[in-house]
Amino acid sequence: MATKVKVTDLHKSYGDNEVLKGINLEVQENEVVVMIGPSGSGKSTFLRTLNKLEEPTAGSIAIDGIDLTAKETNLNKVRENIGMVFQHFNLFPHLTVLENVTLAPVELGKLTKDEANELGRQLLAQVGLADKADAKPTQLSGGQKQRVAIARALAMKPSIMLFDEPTSALDPEMVGEVLKVMRDLAEDGMTMIVVTHEMGFAKQVADRVVFFADGYIREEGTPDAVFNNPQDPRAQDFLNKVLNV
Amino acid sequence: MFKKAWIKYVMLTLAVILGTLATTTTGAAAATKEPHYVITTDTTYPPFELQDKNGQYVGIDIDILKAIAKREHFTYKLVPISFNSGAQAVLSGQFDAIMAGMAITPARKLVYDFGTPYYKTGVIAAIAKNSKIKSLNDLRGKTVALKTGTGAAAYALSIQKQYGFKVTYFNDSNTMYNDVALGNTVATFEDEPVMKYAIQNGVKLKILTKPANSGYYGFGVKKGHNQELIAKFNAGFAAIKKDGTYDKIVAKYIGAKESTFAGSAAVNNSIWGLLKQNKNQFLAGIGQTLMLTILGIILATIFGVIIGILAIVPNKFSHGFASTIIYIFRGLPLLVLAFFIYIGIPSLTGHKFSALLAGLITLMLNEGAYIAAFVAGGLKSVDNGQMEAARSLGLSYWKAMRKVVMPQGIKLMVPSFVNQFIITLKDTSILSAIGIIELTQTGTVIISRNSQGFRVWFLVAMMYLIMITLLTFLAKWADKKFGNN
Ligand SMILES: Nc1ncnc2c1ncn2[C@@H]1O[C@H](COP(=O)(O)OP(=O)(O)OP(=O)(O)O)[C@@H](O)[C@H]1O
Ligand SMILES: [Mg+2]
Repeated sequence: MATKVKVTDLHKSYGDNEVLKGINLEVQENEVVVMIGPSGSGKSTFLRTLNKLEEPTAGSIAIDGIDLTAKETNLNKVRENIGMVFQHFNLFPHLTVLENVTLAPVELGKLTKDEANELGRQLLAQVGLADKADAKPTQLSGGQKQRVAIARALAMKPSIMLFDEPTSALDPEMVGEVLKVMRDLAEDGMTMIVVTHEMGFAKQVADRVVFFADGYIREEGTPDAVFNNPQDPRAQDFLNKVLNV
Repeated sequence: MFKKAWIKYVMLTLAVILGTLATTTTGAAAATKEPHYVITTDTTYPPFELQDKNGQYVGIDIDILKAIAKREHFTYKLVPISFNSGAQAVLSGQFDAIMAGMAITPARKLVYDFGTPYYKTGVIAAIAKNSKIKSLNDLRGKTVALKTGTGAAAYALSIQKQYGFKVTYFNDSNTMYNDVALGNTVATFEDEPVMKYAIQNGVKLKILTKPANSGYYGFGVKKGHNQELIAKFNAGFAAIKKDGTYDKIVAKYIGAKESTFAGSAAVNNSIWGLLKQNKNQFLAGIGQTLMLTILGIILATIFGVIIGILAIVPNKFSHGFASTIIYIFRGLPLLVLAFFIYIGIPSLTGHKFSALLAGLITLMLNEGAYIAAFVAGGLKSVDNGQMEAARSLGLSYWKAMRKVVMPQGIKLMVPSFVNQFIITLKDTSILSAIGIIELTQTGTVIISRNSQGFRVWFLVAMMYLIMITLLTFLAKWADKKFGNN
């Protein structure tokens, strides 16, 4: 199995505030990694350094063997291969649902307009929104918006998907529909890194769970190992709180 | 696709117009074999310069100049502009000469060369017809109206201490007379022939003093320049003095009745009559105002969008550059900027350019700075997540800007834009100061002829309101048609 992501001794500071204090992580092809941890521990920051939305302060990141911290690397090209789904969807409100999905492949010359429309409709069908192609994002519910956002990311045919708390902004009854789409993706073999508080999803879908605290990875292992037999005291404490409410 | 073709067309038209504007002054000169000059005169100084009821410039200065040019075989373009601006523009090299009832004074002789003095004059004080003031002594503590840059104003200042009055300034004689007649100011100082003519033609003032500080009017050029023009003027002047042409010209204007040049009282007393009689002038003024507004807003938009984007690009240098530009051109009063560009830049570079071009550049920089500020504000107010989502898909910064951030930002800017359009229309009136005969200046010029201040300003005000209403509709229509919603 090929290594998709290799992060070595990654540091990130905002001014004096060191948020990531030396992260090492490898993710293999087809693997689903779920990241958990208390608020402010640096999960989002870490995820955002993986496609260089944040500039790391030190350390290296390699995606498919390409060093993101090297000057000559074409970031736009690398990003085409990494889909990202945001907590607040960030759909483009001035475009229709279908245009949201087709914008990038058409603008980047991957597909003709017709090809993109065909792919777009197919992806919308895959996330259960075939009938919403011509709607504007404002006409959708939160769960529908997030499914469109996933389809939009998939339109670039990425080989890795990053999810930053994709269900945290949703009403509870809509969480399931989004998690189902993600589970389908995982079953199709997508390499995924998911920050979430959905422990059920982590237990069912994750190959590996990573626990963040204070800018370090404190605990790492299979869902079973991390949830049922955590070694780190911070992890024990955190899991106690989230699992026993 | 239609949208893009439309933009290209506008840009092309703009380039052609600007190119023409930039070359007109030199182009006209090259076309004739006789020497050609650009000569400035005042817009409102009857009986020396005034427009007749057909909108033609006439008056003692104008007729003398015409007679001399014919005899001495030179051609000229006459540019009527407020006296003070014209006088400065001669010194900056924008114009070759000034023929505007300019009194020859020792101070002026330092910077101008004058031709043979052509008209004897003296300064008198005038007061409202019903004023109780008996002598200059009664002016103590009161305010006196003066016209900027005139010899009469200089004389008034020289006796200001002695009589203890305060002063206020006007750019245009008629507004100044009205101010005195209405009692806002108690007196004015003016050249005798000018005042007499005005009173004879219905200005409700009377003369208080005997002519003082007698002197002469002269035809002026920048010191050391255009000496051959001065020689021609002197030769021609001697000739028309000898053969009686000069006396005929003076007699024609001194002692002429109001109706000779200004039209009948019946016409002047009705709004309709005024509108009909001055139809062509008003239309020309509206044309200039609209042209300035529309070209101005297009240039300002291009400038403003570029600067506005530079202001938000994550690059310290471009950010600093854009903020400085916005700071400077938003901070400068439009009038100062217009004078600086029209009079200041040619004195620095030695290149003259037309008032119209100077006016358009002024609008582009000033209105453009405001547009830049709200473009930057509009783009900044688009949620940062939009840019991030677009970048995460692999779009470059500029593509993300164009396809995702700008379409959303522009929508937020539409109300500010319509507002700026209206402000630009109003601001064009300030450009009358550099001699562009747009609608406001048209009003001033018409009033200088017929003294119908109230009616003419009423008409001008209505015309502005109508234009603003139409432009607002147009902007709303364009927003519907070209905007995203
Ligand atoms: N742009 C920024 N500038 C300064 N500090 C930042 C910035 N982004 C994040 N931080 C800080 O970095 C730390 C980690 O934030 P991050 O968002 O990565 O945490 P998180 O684990 O995702 O938490 P949450 O569960 O609340 O999303 C926090 O202390 C936060 O205040
Ligand atoms: Mg987070």
